[in-house]
Amino acid sequence: MAGNGECVKLVIPCHPKYVAVVRLALTGVAARTDLTVDDIEDVKVAVSEACTNVIDHAFADEETGDKRPPIEIVFYPRDEEVLVEVTDEGSGFDPKRVVLADDVLGDKQGGLGLYLMQRLMDKVEVQSAPGSGTKIKMIKRASR
Amino acid sequence: MTAEVQDEWLGVVKLTGELDAYSGAEFREVIETLMAGATAFLLVDLMALEYIDSVGLGILMGGAKRARQQGGEIAVVCERANLRRVFDISGTAELLNVRDSYDEALAVLAAKRQGGTSDAPGEAE
Repeated sequence: MAGNGECVKLVIPCHPKYVAVVRLALTGVAARTDLTVDDIEDVKVAVSEACTNVIDHAFADEETGDKRPPIEIVFYPRDEEVLVEVTDEGSGFDPKRVVLADDVLGDKQGGLGLYLMQRLMDKVEVQSAPGSGTKIKMIKRASR
Repeated sequence: MTAEVQDEWLGVVKLTGELDAYSGAEFREVIETLMAGATAFLLVDLMALEYIDSVGLGILMGGAKRARQQGGEIAVVCERANLRRVFDISGTAELLNVRDSYDEALAVLAAKRQGGTSDAPGEAE
């Protein structure tokens, strides 16, 4: 049984090749909860979208490779849900200005990523402001 | 990933593993290479794919746009529930002609090839 205070922390370089590692870790952590296989698949997409958004949008183009600070992912497995926090030290943004469902199929991939997060998870909270990095908190509850 | 041109009009790409921001670059190049030739019809076989996210959807939508600009069409073969869910909630299942079997997807493309350009999903009213 997963307790409320337990967490698993993962820190990855800000590069797309490590996002699959996050999915692998998540699968192991979420298996310690009551989430179904389908629930876990939803969380895998949502967490990957959060990480990919950081890699694609959180830093100026000239900040590449190891010049970028890493991404921190913390999983909080509970009996009937999992809470995931994805934190970066990027440039931050105004969450109110993010493109959502009305343009998810347009050119703004970040909008589609956030839209998928919101549809796949039970709760998504974005804490960000220009210049202060971003923290995304997501909760997925067991569907059965 | 495998890619081949069949009967000179049809490009077929089969994907395995995961389609995300890391693996997507190769897939995007394969589509561009196929579409740079005479191929305007694209069948993407995802039966052995285990994961897709918005990056993969974006590449497929780009392939669909390119195919329609060339008078062709795209169809996707996908049966896995977790992938179908991503197509469905993103609203791309219809736009990409997602089907459960290879034969169904091929039939979509063959019908489009015979029927001209008037019934492209992205242009439907």
